[in-house]
Amino acid sequence: MKLAYWPGCVSRGFTPELHGSMELTAKALDIELVTLDRANCCGAGVIAEHNQELADTLNARTFALAQDTGLAMMNICSTCQGAQSECQERLDADSAYRAHINETLSGEGLAYTKDKDGFTNKNFLWLLVEDVGLETLKSKVKRPLEGLRVGPFYGCYVIRPKQRLGYDDHPDRDLYLERVIETLGGEVVEYDGARRCCGFPVITMNRETSLKQAGTHVGDAIDAGADCLVTPCPLCHLNLDMQQPEAAKVVGRDLGLAVLHLPQLVGLALGYSPKELGMPKHIASTVAVDDRVAAMA
Amino acid sequence: MAEYTLKVRRFQPEATDEDKRGAYWDNFDVELDPTLSVLDGLLQARDGEDGSLAVRCSCRAAICGSCGVKINGQSTLACKTQIGEAAEEAERKADGESTTSETGKPEIVIEPMGNMPVIKDLVVDMESTHWEKYRRVTPWLMPSGPPPEREYIVSAEAMVDVTQSVACIQCGSCVSACLSMEADPDFIGPAALAKAYRFVGDPRDGQTTERLYDLANDQHGIYDCTHCFSCIDACPKGVAPMNQIMRLRRLAGHDHDIQDVNNGRNHELAFVKNIEKKGTLDESLLLQESFAPGIKGKLLPTIRSMKGLIESIPTAIRGIRTGKMRSVPKLIPGVHHKLPGDAQDHVKRIYDKTEESRIELNLYVIGEGGEEEGAPGAEGVRAEDITAAAQAEEVTPS
Amino acid sequence: MPDHDVLVIGAGLAGQRAALAAAEHGVSVGIISKVHPIRSHSNAAQGGINAALAVDDSWESHAFDTIKGSDYLSDQDAVEIMCREAPNELLHLEHIGVTFHRNEKGELGTRAFGGASHARTYYVADITGQAIMHTLYEQLMKYADLIDRYEEWFTTELALDEDGNCVGAVTRNIKDGSMELFRAKAVILASGGNGQIWHPTTNALICTGDGIAMAYRAGAKLMDMEMIQYHPTTLRGKGFLITEGARGEGAHLLNAKGERFMEKYAPNKMELASRDVVSRAEQTEINEGRGFPDGTVALDITVVPRKRIHEALREIVLVGRDFAGVDITREPIHIKPGNHYTMGGIKTDIWGRTDVKGLYAAGEAACVSVHGGNRLGANSLLDTLIFGRRSGEDAAKHAAGRGIDRVSRTVLEQEERRVQAIIGRERSGRRVSEIKAELGETMDSKVAVFRDEEGIQSALDTVRRLKEEADGAWIDDRGTIFNQDVLGALELQNMLQQAEATCMAALERKESRGAQFRTDYPERNDEEWLKHIDVSLNGDGPELSYSPVTITDWQPQERTY
Repeated sequence: MKLAYWPGCVSRGFTPELHGSMELTAKALDIELVTLDRANCCGAGVIAEHNQELADTLNARTFALAQDTGLAMMNICSTCQGAQSECQERLDADSAYRAHINETLSGEGLAYTKDKDGFTNKNFLWLLVEDVGLETLKSKVKRPLEGLRVGPFYGCYVIRPKQRLGYDDHPDRDLYLERVIETLGGEVVEYDGARRCCGFPVITMNRETSLKQAGTHVGDAIDAGADCLVTPCPLCHLNLDMQQPEAAKVVGRDLGLAVLHLPQLVGLALGYSPKELGMPKHIASTVAVDDRVAAMA
Repeated sequence: MAEYTLKVRRFQPEATDEDKRGAYWDNFDVELDPTLSVLDGLLQARDGEDGSLAVRCSCRAAICGSCGVKINGQSTLACKTQIGEAAEEAERKADGESTTSETGKPEIVIEPMGNMPVIKDLVVDMESTHWEKYRRVTPWLMPSGPPPEREYIVSAEAMVDVTQSVACIQCGSCVSACLSMEADPDFIGPAALAKAYRFVGDPRDGQTTERLYDLANDQHGIYDCTHCFSCIDACPKGVAPMNQIMRLRRLAGHDHDIQDVNNGRNHELAFVKNIEKKGTLDESLLLQESFAPGIKGKLLPTIRSMKGLIESIPTAIRGIRTGKMRSVPKLIPGVHHKLPGDAQDHVKRIYDKTEESRIELNLYVIGEGGEEEGAPGAEGVRAEDITAAAQAEEVTPS
Repeated sequence: MPDHDVLVIGAGLAGQRAALAAAEHGVSVGIISKVHPIRSHSNAAQGGINAALAVDDSWESHAFDTIKGSDYLSDQDAVEIMCREAPNELLHLEHIGVTFHRNEKGELGTRAFGGASHARTYYVADITGQAIMHTLYEQLMKYADLIDRYEEWFTTELALDEDGNCVGAVTRNIKDGSMELFRAKAVILASGGNGQIWHPTTNALICTGDGIAMAYRAGAKLMDMEMIQYHPTTLRGKGFLITEGARGEGAHLLNAKGERFMEKYAPNKMELASRDVVSRAEQTEINEGRGFPDGTVALDITVVPRKRIHEALREIVLVGRDFAGVDITREPIHIKPGNHYTMGGIKTDIWGRTDVKGLYAAGEAACVSVHGGNRLGANSLLDTLIFGRRSGEDAAKHAAGRGIDRVSRTVLEQEERRVQAIIGRERSGRRVSEIKAELGETMDSKVAVFRDEEGIQSALDTVRRLKEEADGAWIDDRGTIFNQDVLGALELQNMLQQAEATCMAALERKESRGAQFRTDYPERNDEEWLKHIDVSLNGDGPELSYSPVTITDWQPQERTY
């Protein structure tokens, strides 16, 4: 499988371990990634708050770059998925608008084309289930994550709004994390926060609201007996992991729960070590996970 | 006809039985056509089995907004949810596990709305929460000057645009689903903010700036939304409250340049400029410029910005310690690389062009699903229409 | 004991408009509603509101259409007032914020509607009632200092003084079950219609005609109670409404053979003939075997451009999708006539005054009468606003300068006992819900589009039996907080009283006029029946009398579309 790959900004910024673990995991899954190194930030919804046309044009540019490769596009960030899908929805809805945006892109020799079946831009989670397939994934597992209790954390941008995110055709996208965890041999931990918001988008604007959300979800997962969380969204990771000590202060309790990126969890099952997958870079200690993994081996 | 089990979260405030004190679950078996609604199921239970089962309802057709509840965890209207579909959704969510009733069928779980205190069973107190917030946005039109002799002359598009918010039936589903409000009960919330947009977006209103100023300077106002999309999925009428909140930010921030108490405007500008210069996010720069924008922000930092920067120091130190942030571009704002080759110039050109035209496409205005597939005539006119609509902000009394 | 100069019962369009008008006259106002005001059934008015505002239109044309539509049973002085005042009322609504549809010039735009000789229906997509009612509620917020709101209070009975004047009402706070006597110098009933007497119906569950029944018990006359409108386009079984605006936008009615059958019944106006005509045409097609097996005919909206459907008929797209599983932009939807509106109600004059001093009525609860035998589409919103406002103004004048009388608490104690008695009933006999279901089915099968003596008589017999059964019907809820069960029992008693009045009037009118089509008297008979039938309560039963129809400029003619 060969894909146009948009890693996003944060996976190479404050969560460099995500980009690294994705490259390793892709290799193990026989996925060839063609990185779109000329592509730009998705705007994370913030640019759209400033100027909708600007956000739409920037993302049309990324789509056009992907279309130039002749490959389907993959992202590894829920936020990229959500922000880009929102722009794509508008681009696909109106041909005159599309033509207007393409005129802006023409200086670079680019154009976004509305495909008959829709331009494909999939988060790694969706791709893993829908294109790689859970059977194939299972066959590649070298180290079943037996005994590892994992709480799924989706991130809003891959689960809502359903209509925009293709749930009409793939109604179970909000259950994929559970299925992946089980396929990898892990145990799903049910807790309240799995489909709630991490609070990150308001971290600079309303720190208390933001960290209360992160802290509550991490705390609930701990109470439900989780060894770790797993998320397909690096921005959720920033709030759940990087800000975890601060969130602990806001919710007034001890936390300390590892938060894995999805490619890390997959990578562990495919045989990579926590260190190879960049887990020492995390803020919240991953020792509990490391110990479980050591026990598996 | 088919059989269904409704698993209802109940609260009978006057109950004397030991097992009915506090909230409890109660199952009702009902039999009805799958195309009938969950409300029909509840009414069958109430009419035939237990008349004390409290649920507000009236129109049965998703226009009065009475029967907001959570069905299988999703905030929605009981009358708008077909019972057959609710059963399928319960089954899907159960995914072969747990929660099945004695009949072996999945239970349709029905709970009162969230973020509002429960009065009895499925009836919640909307007055002290939702309606109180509704009144916070000065919910009436305030034209400037006396009305014209005949109607106000305003563009058809502008009226359709605000009609998206007018379509709100105040059912509270979005309030129930709001994840920001869970964390901050004082958040004005999606319904009241959609109501606010209804006036801000109305060219007949004469208090646009004042309204935006109030909304931006309420600490629990437009910048308290975490962008979680819950309200969009919960809304039974396509109001898309979050979209209206984002438009309020766009209007308050860009169009009116209102400095807000939450630092929202600074954050937006810092982000936008960052991408213009670098193409991808320079997180350190974003943080610095969000809190201390430009030279002025650095020479004359506000208490708020100092606090924001200081609060981020422990996080940064931890990041350096683990290696997450142990590189020059991550430590020093502005060192972050640009896009390769001429890519950055092209991004800059996109900025130059779109900052002038600033087209705003509202899918509600152009119609659900947008253009007809391959329909002739859809081409070539729309963007101009939209620009015209955007420019038709002025009101001329006839 | 809360006191107000003017007390308004019911907070839909008529009630809110009355309250605002009264408050403008500087009196203290209380407005009571058994649901939150914006849950009121005025929401359901989809298509629009009529007004002869365009320069090439005239109030006379509007009035003639209304009178012809009414089959000459409306009072022409009242119709004249409504049609003359419509343009200013519409502009007032526009000025306070209703987002009416605009044409390309940015002026108010219209759509065509049934029975009208001019496109004079102003609208907000197909949520016109909702848009107007929410705007009035905004005004209640604006004038919150002048108008006290009692949201979710259920009025059980009117309070009368020794001379039979209305001086207040007894009301139950649904939230805690406490009962209060509200004193007032004038009371306006704006508590809506009574479609719940029929099943199915387009009407909401709250439409039980409580105000009509209370006025009747207080001694006010009811009028035109036999005139029940069946709307031509409702969903089978569920009774949901498909707006007449769909036909106004050009949709066709087709029978199972694909024929546009209105050609036979109304060759000129086709689908846009008045509602009684279209409903009878549909029912005839169905009865004669040209309907679909599910007892329906089809409404084909696909002939309307898709973009226009999405812009002007959004709600119907949702109704089709959510409640019928049909994409109306791509396929016809099955519909049939269904109970929709009561033209009759509490008899009032042109200021909303009833036969009981101090008591006013407006909106669907009232019968002025502007609708006579058949209401035109988009005239109901207008009726609520014009006569709501006029009632509010006159009640304020009536109240001004008058002191609040001492009101005996007897009625409060009596109502408390009545409610307690229901709560305490033994579990024997029938459930309230069973009786209500039997009432609905009976009325829908026997007092509907086509009627005859035998059917109406049998319905009346059933209603009288149900009245007896209802006196002992039991409920489950023994509590005080949000006891909806006991409210259901009170509503049932109200409905049965009205159903009896309707059956009696329908039996009495031995002709066919407007919505009353008697297969045993299929012709209109102006000589004997160009008059109103009034119903008043005498002891426990109805007593009938007649009153003349006011005719000004428009003499009855043959009615064709």
